[in-house]
Amino acid sequence: MTNYLYKRGKRRASGARKAYRIALVWAACLLSVIASGQSRYTVNGTIRDKNSGEALIGATVSLLETKTPERGILSNSYGFYSVTAPAGHYTLLITFSGYQPDSLAIDLTHNLTLPIELATAAGQLAEVVVSAQKRNDNVTRPLMGVQKLTTKEINDIPVLFGEKDVLKTIQLLPGIQFAGDGNSGFYVRGGGADQNLILLDEATVYNPSHLLGFFSTFNSDAIKDVTVYKGGMPAEYGGRLASVVDIKMNDGNDKEYHFGGGIGLISTRLSAEGPIVPDKGSFSISGRRTYADLFLKFSPDSSVNDNSLYFYDLNVKANYKFDERNHIYFSGYFGRDNLAFGNTFGIDYGNATGTARWNHVFSNRLFSNTSLISSKYSYKIRINSENNDIGFTSDIRDADLKEDLQYFVDAASKIDFGFSVIHHIIAPGIIDASSGSSYNSLTLQNKYSLENAVYISHQWSPTDKLHFDYGLRASDFLVLGPGDFYTYDSAGNTTDTAHYNSGKIIKTYTNPEPRFSVSFQLDEESSVKASYNRNTQVLHLLSNSTSSNPTDLWIPSSNNVRPEIADQESIGYFKNFKDNRYEFSVEAYYKSMQNQIDYKNGAQLIANEYVESQLLFGKGRAYGLELFLKKKAGKFTGWLSYTLSRTELKIDGVNQNNWYPAKQDRTHDISLVGIYQAGRKWTLSATWVYYTGNAVTWPNGKYNINGQTAFYYTERNAYRMPAYHRMDVAATLQGRKRKRFSGSWTFSVYNLYGRENAYSIVFQTDPNDPTKTQALQYSLFRFVPSVTYNFKF
Amino acid sequence: MRKTATYGFLLTLLLASACKKVIDVDLKSATPQIVIEGNITDAGGPYIVKITKTVDFSAENVYPPVTNAVVTITDSTMKRTEQLQQIDSGVYVTSTIIGQTRHTYGMVVDVDGQRYTASSTMPRRVQLDSITFAENVNFNNQTEINAVVNFQDPVAIGNYYMFTEYVNSRQIPDIFVFEDRLSTGRYIEEPLFNDSSYLQKGDTLVLSMDCIDRNTYDYFFTLLNVTGNNNFQSVTPSNPVTNISNGALGYFSAHTVQRTAITVY
Repeated sequence: MTNYLYKRGKRRASGARKAYRIALVWAACLLSVIASGQSRYTVNGTIRDKNSGEALIGATVSLLETKTPERGILSNSYGFYSVTAPAGHYTLLITFSGYQPDSLAIDLTHNLTLPIELATAAGQLAEVVVSAQKRNDNVTRPLMGVQKLTTKEINDIPVLFGEKDVLKTIQLLPGIQFAGDGNSGFYVRGGGADQNLILLDEATVYNPSHLLGFFSTFNSDAIKDVTVYKGGMPAEYGGRLASVVDIKMNDGNDKEYHFGGGIGLISTRLSAEGPIVPDKGSFSISGRRTYADLFLKFSPDSSVNDNSLYFYDLNVKANYKFDERNHIYFSGYFGRDNLAFGNTFGIDYGNATGTARWNHVFSNRLFSNTSLISSKYSYKIRINSENNDIGFTSDIRDADLKEDLQYFVDAASKIDFGFSVIHHIIAPGIIDASSGSSYNSLTLQNKYSLENAVYISHQWSPTDKLHFDYGLRASDFLVLGPGDFYTYDSAGNTTDTAHYNSGKIIKTYTNPEPRFSVSFQLDEESSVKASYNRNTQVLHLLSNSTSSNPTDLWIPSSNNVRPEIADQESIGYFKNFKDNRYEFSVEAYYKSMQNQIDYKNGAQLIANEYVESQLLFGKGRAYGLELFLKKKAGKFTGWLSYTLSRTELKIDGVNQNNWYPAKQDRTHDISLVGIYQAGRKWTLSATWVYYTGNAVTWPNGKYNINGQTAFYYTERNAYRMPAYHRMDVAATLQGRKRKRFSGSWTFSVYNLYGRENAYSIVFQTDPNDPTKTQALQYSLFRFVPSVTYNFKF
Repeated sequence: MRKTATYGFLLTLLLASACKKVIDVDLKSATPQIVIEGNITDAGGPYIVKITKTVDFSAENVYPPVTNAVVTITDSTMKRTEQLQQIDSGVYVTSTIIGQTRHTYGMVVDVDGQRYTASSTMPRRVQLDSITFAENVNFNNQTEINAVVNFQDPVAIGNYYMFTEYVNSRQIPDIFVFEDRLSTGRYIEEPLFNDSSYLQKGDTLVLSMDCIDRNTYDYFFTLLNVTGNNNFQSVTPSNPVTNISNGALGYFSAHTVQRTAITVY
């Protein structure tokens, strides 16, 4: 035992020493950078859309006369840019995909504040003009494992029921895997569905799905920008092992009012945006409501139609600019699903998030954003049968304070630093039973915790070919009282109960998380990159069913459950060709994961105070190769992505402690996306996906127990579901534009060739021949046609 | 609590439009494994221990009996041991032991040089108050009649129940288990939801309410988790948690039995 402690102490010391060394190197770099600045001036400002005033995220700003003009700096999440250079006359060049580039002659003999407005590339021809612009950020930036999607791509890609969907669309990208029909969860580089951090205007969205996973919680009308990090996460992000999906909502037009909407087979969407004070403040509201329950009314099955099955959600955002230095934003999301079976059973669930932000420009080089964020996910189940009138509720509530600062050193160097504090309260379950019911009312104790982090990172280009992005995130997790904390023996029996009062710290976990990316540009159009990053995860989603449920339980790390840790190394080669019209990349990754969670056989996760006694722990490893070829310009655009991968787990007490394939292990995963602009009116698109079936556990034998056939299992996840493949197509007809009004029709077919993909395979006694057993395959959708009318004015 | 069911019905709604078909799957064969099913009850003996072996999935549902076993049962409370006699292939019976509540029983099975052991304590008997009937719309959207069991759960936690139904002398394939983890001390009115409509007005229902120990509850709870329609939302399948040692399948249970016959109304 002492030996063990000693080793742990030693390891921690070496971790700290490593962190210290990194900090030292960083400080040295920073000093050299700052020291070199003599009579340098800064031009800064915000880049916006000329027509709507929307801040443009990731626009490139460069000085034509400096030696790395094509790289420049990128505007941040609020459109802010800052470029510092020695005194002189320069041409400031601003480019952004889908917009007309702008250039301005500037006299940089004093500091300048220069707000910039870019006009959209209007008309059909501009598509080509814009795309011909050099957009080789994918090659020149050190970012690896990052995918960005534009609203246009999201809009053109066909999806189920014509409901355009951000989360479904990102699953067509390499390394991001569709979890299957009826599952809006996705797997990134072998990570579980709960290992994705999904942020909506910085607020964590705990359940990203509606209606049993057929739709995501994100209404694409409300969304401006989506970025997915599957490796090489910037130090600003933390808290999940596998990925970060950073979704930003529209700010709203601060010049004129606009309205839009869509009427589809299963839902209607409406949105409005406009100025609060012209050029200073604006709002944006988007809402949608499905009427899938109306579908049920058409059901030939008469007893289906008193059931309800719908969701609605609302995105609201408002912002106000006091001056060029101070800008505030408020954004909120509220969504709810309601599913009920007559009066007997019902469940409603949903997320609510709110974010208040203050952008402050401390100096022309130092940008700050302070956010106050709240997030809540809750569900309520009602059961009403016989004497039982029971409600079961559970929720998770977050309150965060987050501070992010960006220091724009010069065109070759930028420093990001900040901190975040998140207070989590998890109410695992409250049973509210009527006095005559067969169940007792019960309140499981709340779980309190504090998730803190500080980070610093530096983007630095020592030469015009070599770029670094490196940093350190230090995360600190505090398990807080009040509450009873249990100790279990290996059989899961409680051996000790310790009570702690409010405010007491029961356990602390501190983890340094180094992040490092480097890119080396081989020539104008190609580069090699490498990255290493460590991520930790302190909240864990318990779900021992085969697909995700709204009732899955989040638990914090505790005295029994340690934070999950993942170390990922990746290397890649990036090449653009034909004047950046084509983009190609190959990335390889290896990820090792510690403190992974699995469940004991027959684990009781529902309303169990001792739920931690039901868990098993182990480790995981995932590795793979991702190929991506994208055509970015021309009438025909699209991409091909292929992932070859393996994901395995080794859990104490499972599969004789041997490595076995994780459920989400996918040998092959292919996505093919094509979008064709046929003339001025029609846009045609098609997607095709193929993947190796999930790893599943099937019986190797059978026996008789209590007069019934039971199945005999010998190995975990040793079989495969049949391979999944599907083609979806869509056609959009753009109506004639009349004054401000424009409308379009989208026709789509999901699963065009009607492939019966296996949703579930069930083993049972043959109903027609009790002396035999059979395997029965259930599949969900074949040919789902849909039509949607979208309009805006 | 039928929360899984709550959710399962939603899937059923979706699956109403789903297609199902019988498919061929290529399942490996497994070395036959021993299966032991032993019961001691508070009703009179003889008590039976059945020993069979598993067969491959593709085989017929005929399970080879194990005829060369030596089976003993010990009443650990009374310190009395008895070797069971094989009266039919793979069927071993007691002749002297009398099942009594709160006694602990041990079972030892020796086959082919392997020893399998288990023990079970017969819980105190909880009286079934009455059986009533209720009409419910099941998840296949048919109205079905379900039996409702009514009884008072004792004040002390740790009572486990199992219900088996026989309609017109045929056993219904559904087995029900119930624990008082969330219901301690309550008056229980629990409907027994069947997977299909089995009960019709006028049928003769024989309902058996057994008070089982925790291991037996765990066994049937985990067995039910991976069988039948639960598969849509099931946990990763695995063999049920057994109280028998050395890798044998099955269970050994000492439990009370109450059989009630009633006409379905």
